[in-house]
Amino acid sequence: MNGFLIVNGLSGLLIVSSLLVTLAGNPANSARFYALQSFILVMLFVALAGATGSGELYLWSFTALLTKVILVPAIMYRAFRRLSDPAIGTGAVMPTALSIVGAAVALILCFVVASKVTLPAADAIKPALAVSLALFFIGLACIVAQRNILKQVFGYCLMENGSHLTLALLAPNAPELVEIGIATDAIFAVVVMAALGSRIFDTLHTLDARQLTSLKG
Amino acid sequence: MTAMVPSILPPLLLIGPLAVALFLLTLPWFRDSLPEAFATDTGSVTLLERIHLGSIGYVFLLSIAALIQVLSNGAISAFGDWLFVDALGAVFMMLVGVVGLMTGLYSIAYIRHDLESGAIDAGKVRIYYGFFSLFQFTMLLAVTANNIIMMWAAIEATTLGSAFLVGLYGQKSSLEAAWKYVIICTVGVAFGLYGTVLVFSNAADVLADPHQAVLWTALVGHAAELDPMLVKLAFVFALIGFGTKAGIFPMHAWLPDAHSEAPSPVSGLLSGVLLKCALLIVIRFYVITVGTVGTGFPQMLLLTLGLLSVGVSSLLFFVQQDLKRKLAYSSIENVGLIVVALGVGGPLGIAAALLHAINHSVTKALFFCSAGNVLMKYGTRDLRAVKGVLRVAPATGLLMMGCALALAGFPPFNIFVSEFMVFMAGLNEGYGWIMALCALFLCITIAGLVKIVADSVLGKSPETMAKGDLGWKALAPLGVLAVLVLTLGFAVPQPLSNLVQQATTVVMNGDSRPVVAAPWQKYDGQTYDTVRAGGQLVTGSLSQTEISK
Repeated sequence: MNGFLIVNGLSGLLIVSSLLVTLAGNPANSARFYALQSFILVMLFVALAGATGSGELYLWSFTALLTKVILVPAIMYRAFRRLSDPAIGTGAVMPTALSIVGAAVALILCFVVASKVTLPAADAIKPALAVSLALFFIGLACIVAQRNILKQVFGYCLMENGSHLTLALLAPNAPELVEIGIATDAIFAVVVMAALGSRIFDTLHTLDARQLTSLKG
Repeated sequence: MTAMVPSILPPLLLIGPLAVALFLLTLPWFRDSLPEAFATDTGSVTLLERIHLGSIGYVFLLSIAALIQVLSNGAISAFGDWLFVDALGAVFMMLVGVVGLMTGLYSIAYIRHDLESGAIDAGKVRIYYGFFSLFQFTMLLAVTANNIIMMWAAIEATTLGSAFLVGLYGQKSSLEAAWKYVIICTVGVAFGLYGTVLVFSNAADVLADPHQAVLWTALVGHAAELDPMLVKLAFVFALIGFGTKAGIFPMHAWLPDAHSEAPSPVSGLLSGVLLKCALLIVIRFYVITVGTVGTGFPQMLLLTLGLLSVGVSSLLFFVQQDLKRKLAYSSIENVGLIVVALGVGGPLGIAAALLHAINHSVTKALFFCSAGNVLMKYGTRDLRAVKGVLRVAPATGLLMMGCALALAGFPPFNIFVSEFMVFMAGLNEGYGWIMALCALFLCITIAGLVKIVADSVLGKSPETMAKGDLGWKALAPLGVLAVLVLTLGFAVPQPLSNLVQQATTVVMNGDSRPVVAAPWQKYDGQTYDTVRAGGQLVTGSLSQTEISK
């Protein structure tokens, strides 16, 4: 039972780290905070593996450590640190306080939804399940309420972390290949987005999504 | 579910375009160890074209071979059932093969023109053909996947594989379109991932073997045991996610930009095939959802989003002045109509949706390629500047006129047949007012298409414009597509009718034999009229006994 308490406790840290990713001053810092969040996620996988006795989850923890804590943040850090558009500042379109209130509201709504899930596997980890759903929507908000196109990429990464956590919570015995499939796809997505983002900066000399409005109608 | 026959064809089908894509995209890294002909991109354009032709020909032949095997043996599978092609998947696999071949052939003339006009350099030609094969591979993976996580990954990969095709020209507008395409679709498909994860997690709890919970065929067999709340939530997520990729309103924002900025053959492939592949995944989730919660909930969602797609896109279609953006909105409208047909349900509704997917695919690929000819000739997509195509380039003008009439739903073109079936199904299932609204919106589209014909195809051509059509390489693939549009309009061939019937059976999860035929077509000795009773079409489907009479 203690294992599940740790899982639920760590999931709270995920919300804090997702806000750090979203509100960080520049994309390079977001990459650092994303690595931190992924590390918390890996710890959570390990705790969950211990609590459920799932051998697969230990493997997941290892692949997540390689891909989410090391590879993806490294790719993004290397790609993004040379790109800077001082004109858009942090790129946030909402005040910080409002973002935090929004995340809290999303979390409450997700608790309501998670409480209605009747699956036996979800009984002990409903707070973490709610967090995983909230993480998904905070990621979405990060994309919608962000002018900096590079920071929009982190929104996708948060959404992906949310989905990944839901999968681990509800199906801890899922085949390892499933997890590898998701992780690999996410790496390609980040590489493509980073390459396109860099190309946009090199060609248009801006990272502002509001400047990308020549196509209308 | 019918038993699956092991086959080597699905992996063979996938490996060809993947190998070509990897070879072309990584060529600079090992160029030195290859023969002289590959020494530079500039010197190897003809060679690149031959490799590309080999790839599209290979995909076409293998997809037809797999299709024949499915029609004669039922579903085929490979790799422990992770890959499979049932009749439903075969419909879409056929589209990747056929439309891929035609747009691929057309690419030769189009990309040559871009190269000669300086719009792209030889390096981009290699990138274009490499990503073309990669795009085909990802779409084939999506339609042959039985593993639902792989289905999601494949749809996600279609975005990543085609993003560079959309942004090929590297201009401000094309980079903008590529960025919107990637970000909107990746985020959208992340919803799809969440829906997929919910279904899988739920099934892993219910099924004894978690490895089975990842297979769509196993999920359909155990759908009744899944948690209704989770499945409803999963369907909403899947509809938003894969619906984004299919271009369903209100998640369609990427589509007009990507379709208009991509090279025309890619626009044809995006509209003709990619949207349908995403729809296939929506249909797969629909089948699971119906098995768990019945038809009411998913059909209500499909009807609402489908009708909104048809309505909004018809208005935007009418006011649009950019030819390719106009066609993009028409794609949203037709996808909307397919979704309405799915929402109407019943064997006839499902069959109508599938046939309309096929018909729209062929017609829209033809129209986008015709628009490509216009672009090559006039150098613009602005309909205010494109006048008198019939005088300037008679064959292209004639093709455009045929496309416009076909898309407007006039007989004897193919779109009429499937639209007629959609309306029949709607009336049959008691959705008269929805069909009336659809008819109203389609009238707006017809007005827009008539305007294209009257002003751009038939209008007075600019005096400075040199007369003369484009070469045979730019016209022959379009001619083949035009023959298909007309042939499918006169009568639905028996093998295609069988395929759509078998695919309908997969979706209905039980034997059902809807009439898949043109209204005037004799169908096993019977016409639509033979299944009427008291002046009303009662079932829209023939029972096995009726067919065998």
